[in-house]
Amino acid sequence: MRQLIARRLLQVIPMLFFISIICFGLIKLAPGDPVLSFVTPNMHLEDIERMRHSLGLDQPAYVQYVLWLKKSLTGDLGYSLINHQPVLDQILDRLPATAGLMGASIILAVLIAIPLGLLAAANRNRWIDKLINLMSYIGISVPLFWLGILLIYLFAIYLHWLPSTGMRTIGTDSVLDVLKHGILPCFVLAFSFLSVYVRYIRSSTITQLKEEYVQIQYAFGSGKRLVLFRHVLKHVLLPIITLLGMSAADLVAGAIVTETVFSWPGIGSLGMTAVKGMDYPVIMGITLFSALFLILGNLLADILYSIADPRIKSTR
Amino acid sequence: MRRNGIGVLVLMVLMLVVSACSGGNSGTSSATDGSTSNADATTADNGQPKDGGSLIIGVQSDPVVLNPNYAGDRVSLTIDQAIFAPLFQVNNGKKTFYLADSLTPSADKLTYTLKLKKNLTWHDGEKLTADDVVFTINKILDEKQHSFLRSNFIINGKPVQVSKVDDTTVEFKLPQAAPAFEATLVQVSPIPKHIFENEADIEKSTKNNTPVGSGPFKFKEYKTGEYITLERFDNYFGGKPHLDSVTYRIVKDSNAASLALQNGEINVNYVDPQNVDTIKATGKFDIYPYSEGRLAYLMFNENSDTKQLNKKEVRQALSYALNQDELIQVSYGSKDYADTAKSALTQDVLYHTNDVPFFNNDVNKAKELLKSAGAEGLKLRIIIPGGNKVQEAQALYIQQKFKDIGVQLDVNSMDSSAWSQKFVDTNAKDFDLAISGYIMGYDPDAYRILYSTGSSSNYSHYSNKEVDKLLEEGAGESDTTKRGEIYKKVQEMLADDAVIYPIAYTKTIVAFDKQYGGIEQAVLKPVVIFEDLSKIYHK
Repeated sequence: MRQLIARRLLQVIPMLFFISIICFGLIKLAPGDPVLSFVTPNMHLEDIERMRHSLGLDQPAYVQYVLWLKKSLTGDLGYSLINHQPVLDQILDRLPATAGLMGASIILAVLIAIPLGLLAAANRNRWIDKLINLMSYIGISVPLFWLGILLIYLFAIYLHWLPSTGMRTIGTDSVLDVLKHGILPCFVLAFSFLSVYVRYIRSSTITQLKEEYVQIQYAFGSGKRLVLFRHVLKHVLLPIITLLGMSAADLVAGAIVTETVFSWPGIGSLGMTAVKGMDYPVIMGITLFSALFLILGNLLADILYSIADPRIKSTR
Repeated sequence: MRRNGIGVLVLMVLMLVVSACSGGNSGTSSATDGSTSNADATTADNGQPKDGGSLIIGVQSDPVVLNPNYAGDRVSLTIDQAIFAPLFQVNNGKKTFYLADSLTPSADKLTYTLKLKKNLTWHDGEKLTADDVVFTINKILDEKQHSFLRSNFIINGKPVQVSKVDDTTVEFKLPQAAPAFEATLVQVSPIPKHIFENEADIEKSTKNNTPVGSGPFKFKEYKTGEYITLERFDNYFGGKPHLDSVTYRIVKDSNAASLALQNGEINVNYVDPQNVDTIKATGKFDIYPYSEGRLAYLMFNENSDTKQLNKKEVRQALSYALNQDELIQVSYGSKDYADTAKSALTQDVLYHTNDVPFFNNDVNKAKELLKSAGAEGLKLRIIIPGGNKVQEAQALYIQQKFKDIGVQLDVNSMDSSAWSQKFVDTNAKDFDLAISGYIMGYDPDAYRILYSTGSSSNYSHYSNKEVDKLLEEGAGESDTTKRGEIYKKVQEMLADDAVIYPIAYTKTIVAFDKQYGGIEQAVLKPVVIFEDLSKIYHK
């Protein structure tokens, strides 16, 4: 196990290096110029050039990359081109908001998906199964930003139950207040992979229900509910660990949309602003953090999987 | 495990229920407060402004920098307006003094003497004196400090000299007469010398994160990505502000901002023309459309490889193809939000006139002109930034109208960053038309960089030696009558040359919560919303 973790952790370094090159190259290929976001009509060309020089943007792309890499290796991700704040500080400042949102969304998605998936499988081809299936299809098809706006309209504007923006009421730091602000964004983000989970659990449960051990339990006179929860569930839960690892990418993409719609002050909304303003150092910083999150998410899933099912270790 | 799972589920449902119940009280605290305050409003409407309360203004992004020497974006400028008092302001030709008491030019217009008010203080209690003004201007002039405002203080290649006469008097010596100098000073809000004097790079100084200003509100708290709160500055020279605090809530998505406004989480925000009816329907907001001194226009790129737009007749013909009223209707919904534009100079500019040649809606004339210029069957390309609904509607309308005169127009909707890069690229030849807008301030000299031959911002590559000469003369002419004549002539010539097709002097629309008063005294102002936030009060 230790060897597996060490080997996988060592693999992270070249992967991040490779990702950083790709990301830097893509940024440079993209149209636009960060300096243009500062240009006002009464600025002179010399001012624009001076600004470009002071930001180091007049250097060839490879020089800019090498300079960035050198600094990054010492833990310095540079300064934002827009507000000159250290990139690392900005990311660390926003990380708890995103981590909280993601964590709560995963828990919510799993808690909703398991009973729904089991219910659908246990009532295969009946109306309830069809209803859950229909909801899953809708869930997969609905764009997150649209769902977000719809829920804001319903719960904030129409029912006046929940706030529509931000992470807290201004000047308040109570946990309950943050939870209340988090309900809608958390639900929307959970929704982005909830439908996939439901369908996976349903099909996995149906497969398990055909297994010999289930038939034996029925032969011993065990009830359907008991068989499902005591025997089938543990077999279904195991692959969910892998599914969680695979959801990491969806989580990152979903967080960007969700945080923007709900003005949630996390990394997603920071990244959106950085992309709009062509803020290279911030884009690079967030890309690296997201990549690290994806890699570690998958690693964690693998470790958990091998703990849960020791047979896996022997095959690796 | 089963019991635990159900336990967690019950807990989460309970949490939802508790949140939902309490949401009725505090989740919409502003909305609830609103109903209470509306009752008060009837008494406050007839009486004196009340003190206390807070105001929440919606902004689209985090501020870039809270230092007026570097603020160039709308959000930073808006917040700086509340923290840093300006020397004086000019709005619709009316000068209002803030930190300054007077500004007196010498007879030869080469020296300007600025008198400051007495007993001015910074938010930290230190005295604000002439030293601070001199320090601010010198830092703007210092190339190493990278201030955007620097080039405004360079006249004909030489810097303006600034010196202290006494604690409340500052003298500016100009290398040559420059009537636009007052407009330059309007952009200056002093920064405190005692805070920044030892900073090598003020732009990147961490002291900008906790700004010390002299405006009606002082910095209190900033949560990145969430909000910035300012609190009342009791020693504000203009009198104690009415509100206890002002918060700028950061809402990046415009749909989310509109919903937050409807939900009462924001009291003041910009509104798109298409959302006005929805906001009005809440019954909680007054709508104020006001001019920002902005011109929306169709630009002809005379440098394009089509090689036809450098002919005046072709530009006139293309202008004749369009109907300005229809164009305004399709893009802004009504003339409530866009005034008819004929001159290249906006309505707020000194010596503005709409009494200029205008080529509008004459298809036969357009065809005739194209024929005489040998430009029949033209194929042109227009670039617009994707996602801008107004400009998309305008481009499609123009495409349709050009068809009537036999001109094919390809609409190229681009990524907004790529669009701005192409628009300002003076070497770009692969597009013929673009839709854009500008805000240039109230002095017509600012327009020199747009329409002088070879100037840095002459994106249409227009060149007319007589216009160049007139713009040079206007910059140095001290006699207001003569200056007025010069700029009238400039406007006529720009219009006759059809250098651009002016679409409209657009208006900004602000929704203002009915619970608050004092908007007339606070004065709606381009870019920063309010000129003086101290006058806003909770009814």
